[in-house]
Amino acid sequence: MNTVRPRHVWLIFLRELRDQLRDRRTLFMILVLPLLLYPLLGMSFFQVTQFLKEHPSTVWVAGTEELDGLLPLLDGDRLDSRWFTDATRRELVHVAVREDVSFGEPEEGPPPAPVKEWLQRNDCDVFVYFPPGFGQRFNMLQQAEPFDESARALEDIPATEAAGLWIWHNSAKEKSRIALRRVQDVLARWNNALGKENLVGLSISPVVSRPLAWRLVDTAHKGQRGAASWSKTLPFVLLVWALTGAFYPAVDLCAGEKERGTLETLLSSSADRGEIVWGKLLTVMVFSMSTAVLNLLALGATGWFVVSHLQALPAVAALGTPPISAMAYLLVALVPVSALFSALCLALSAFARSTKEGQYYLMPLLLVCLPLMVLPLAPGTELSIGNSLIPVTGIMLLLRSMIEGNLAEVIRYVPIVVCVTLACCYAAVRWAVDQFNSEQVLFRESERFQLGMWLRHLARDRGPTPTVAEAIFCGVLLLVVEFFMSFALPTPRNLSEFVTLLVVSQVAIIGMPAVLMAILLTRSPRQTLLLRRPSFVACMMAFLAAVVFHPTANALQSLVIYLFPVNEGALAFLDQFFDEPGAFGILLATFAIVPAICEELAFRGFILSGLRHTGYKWRAIAISSIFFGVIHPIFQQSLVACMVGMVIGYIAVQSNSLLPGILFHMTHNALALAASKWTAEVPAGNPWTERLLGEGIFHYAWYVIAISSLATLAILGWFRRLSYPKFEEEKLRELLDRPASRSIPEAS
Amino acid sequence: MVHVSNLTKHYTDLQRGKLVAVAGIDFDARPGEIFGLLGPNGAGKTTALRILSTMLRPSGGRVTVHGYDVLTQPADVRRCIGFMSANTAIYDRMTAWEFVEYFGRLHELEEHVLRQQMEALFDRLQMNNIRDLLGARMSTGMKQKLSIARALVHDPPVVIFDEATVGLDVLVARALIQTIAELRDHGKCVIFSTHIMREAERLCDRIAIMHRGKILTQGTVDELRERHSEEDLEELFFRLISAQEEKEHSGNSAEYSKTSPSGELAKEEPA
Repeated sequence: MNTVRPRHVWLIFLRELRDQLRDRRTLFMILVLPLLLYPLLGMSFFQVTQFLKEHPSTVWVAGTEELDGLLPLLDGDRLDSRWFTDATRRELVHVAVREDVSFGEPEEGPPPAPVKEWLQRNDCDVFVYFPPGFGQRFNMLQQAEPFDESARALEDIPATEAAGLWIWHNSAKEKSRIALRRVQDVLARWNNALGKENLVGLSISPVVSRPLAWRLVDTAHKGQRGAASWSKTLPFVLLVWALTGAFYPAVDLCAGEKERGTLETLLSSSADRGEIVWGKLLTVMVFSMSTAVLNLLALGATGWFVVSHLQALPAVAALGTPPISAMAYLLVALVPVSALFSALCLALSAFARSTKEGQYYLMPLLLVCLPLMVLPLAPGTELSIGNSLIPVTGIMLLLRSMIEGNLAEVIRYVPIVVCVTLACCYAAVRWAVDQFNSEQVLFRESERFQLGMWLRHLARDRGPTPTVAEAIFCGVLLLVVEFFMSFALPTPRNLSEFVTLLVVSQVAIIGMPAVLMAILLTRSPRQTLLLRRPSFVACMMAFLAAVVFHPTANALQSLVIYLFPVNEGALAFLDQFFDEPGAFGILLATFAIVPAICEELAFRGFILSGLRHTGYKWRAIAISSIFFGVIHPIFQQSLVACMVGMVIGYIAVQSNSLLPGILFHMTHNALALAASKWTAEVPAGNPWTERLLGEGIFHYAWYVIAISSLATLAILGWFRRLSYPKFEEEKLRELLDRPASRSIPEAS
Repeated sequence: MVHVSNLTKHYTDLQRGKLVAVAGIDFDARPGEIFGLLGPNGAGKTTALRILSTMLRPSGGRVTVHGYDVLTQPADVRRCIGFMSANTAIYDRMTAWEFVEYFGRLHELEEHVLRQQMEALFDRLQMNNIRDLLGARMSTGMKQKLSIARALVHDPPVVIFDEATVGLDVLVARALIQTIAELRDHGKCVIFSTHIMREAERLCDRIAIMHRGKILTQGTVDELRERHSEEDLEELFFRLISAQEEKEHSGNSAEYSKTSPSGELAKEEPA
């Protein structure tokens, strides 16, 4: 990134801000709408609730003659009032006794055809049937039959021993589901009363069947209860509005300016692209923050007003007013959140040719961001080291905990959340600056798309290596195919099936598509897939690197599993095959060799070669490593694979050959497999292994890991000395990043 | 002042494949002269001038403006040029005064220098009556004047006009041409691209005729007339273009088979 002159950034910021403030639509959206929205929504809600009422359910009952002598269940065309806690609920169940209907003793399986038809036609919502013998069976229970000593647990009592009745319903219909819930509530109370009556009849205290009683005491005071109820709503509202508030100004400031022709005017000025991005970013941030703050204030004010006027309603009274401290936390968090969303929106809208096209990009952005915002709302999701590393989610969880009053407990996560958020902000800003530096993005003109023309273009304009778009397409294609195949392929039951599936899936899903794409889409598959003979020393160094890297990789994996605990079953999947004769050798051969070849062809071959056209070697390595990581099915495995991919990617680029990478990958996989088997079988008391192996979460001692890391870095340092052919874009980038020699200007 | 040496620019087009918009052109433009780039639509004039103004990066060759390299010293180059094209619009929600002031400040002019410069420009371009008018309410002529003021506010030694008279009525176009001539008289190096022969003939000291990314000929108007034995510049232009197209079609029809019917862009030269 070139030097950014703050004066230019400030000037651009002020101009953009003034420009937006002179736009009546923007002012309405940012200032007026939030002030009107929540009161209007509240008013609409109260009006709509007047029309909302619960509709009564129709319940048909047959076999009521079996109920003679029992506590009354029915009372005319209603259920008996004693089975309701609230008299108004009673009116919601309309009963019709069908004396003309009898099905004898129904069999298990589908309901009788007439009942099915009645439920389908909505003649009734639920049909309750007391079969012949119900009353007799109940009387027998009242006589207290000898109790089967062997069946002590309640679930051991066969259902046939109880007096059975039938409830037929249609779960595909909302009304029937509601009716069923109402009927089951009533039957549960009736059942309790009948049981109690039976016990009393046998001169046994009813308490015997319900020996426990508890009292609930809530230690949280009203303010804390209120804070807890707001702790999820407020951060969510903040983030949603910060994103929405960033999007529309960003589209106007980038795509809109392109459309109006003013972007070219600005680009020809003495402002640098980075300065333009920062100036626009600050403007978008101001609008993002203003939108979020005004919405929060409007929501808070409306909430306070409603709560203060509806204290009589228990639900509203429990909600309380939003705490003032919450607002302070939210305001502090808003700065990095807005910066992140603003940079993302700016980069996306820089890509759009027009405001209309820019608005199309809102949905994909929401689809990426919303799961991160919704995840903290899931019950049981708490702030942990692992969660705090997830962008957006970490901030929301931190805010939630702080609003709930747990500041002291979560303060240790603040540095992690801040670092992750700042790193994301930096990446997003870099992306936005890159978009502004890309001619293809800034001067992109609309081209008519025709499939035939596009296919001709692919065949005619093939380069020696794939384009960036082709590389990303390949990565996405592999992920999609892998996703569907993971469901389509059967779970292996034995070693032979496992080996077959592994080979087939690696070759068919990963290796073959990459090779085919290299043949079809490039002029030089050999150059694309780095099929060059490396030096013997480079191969040996790659092998050595994998060996010395093993404890570090192992430590990384342990750390990841510690941060994001994994299901032991998933990790121990391979263990089931170890016991088969000759299993270890076969697993070693297939698990080490096949993925090393197929995955290297795809990720360090086709994808990395294409991504290097971005001009940034490390960015290409990182993106290819992310694809490599994501293709692994377990999330924790993906993180480690991503880091290992960075090392292999670097070796592949520096050695300009795929073979050292394959050797590294193969050795790495073989050692990982061997370690998973042998660390479990290490004999206790061996002084050498005791020195090497660590305690706690790591398998190796800390000094082994430290030596491993240093040795790996030393070997990578050796690879750094190798000269490798650079892509044109990489040469250009080097030229641009080099400090320019100051030429002496000509005399005017 | 402006040295263009073997400048090349190519890119990929979905329909026509890899295209060379500018195919190794060379020219120099000096202070106190108007250098005209003359060519039909799609000849590569705009691409070449966008490279000069650092909006696009060259694929090959070297361009220096006032001694600065457009590839490695783009910020210095932009400080030395004023660029105006049919694509450089003005802001709708800024007044004329604010607009020029904004770009002057971006060029880091001292406040009093900026004030003087703006007063002089608004007087010279007779824009005092539109000082407080928002861009959205201006006529096309007013917008063109404002764009000129914006390009000249920092008093650059090099001024580039790309198809600046497109869409203007006769009166406004005449006024613009008058302004450009005055800039030459003030010692500026002016690069002026157009596809209107009459404008080039009246205004330019030297002319380069571009077609399909290449410069077919260049020199003063008199030199061109003498060299090609043709008095009428428009006729000369047609003859050169037709001869070039004939040569390409007959001599190397396969090589140019990928160009569009309008012949907008040239196919890449074999290395």
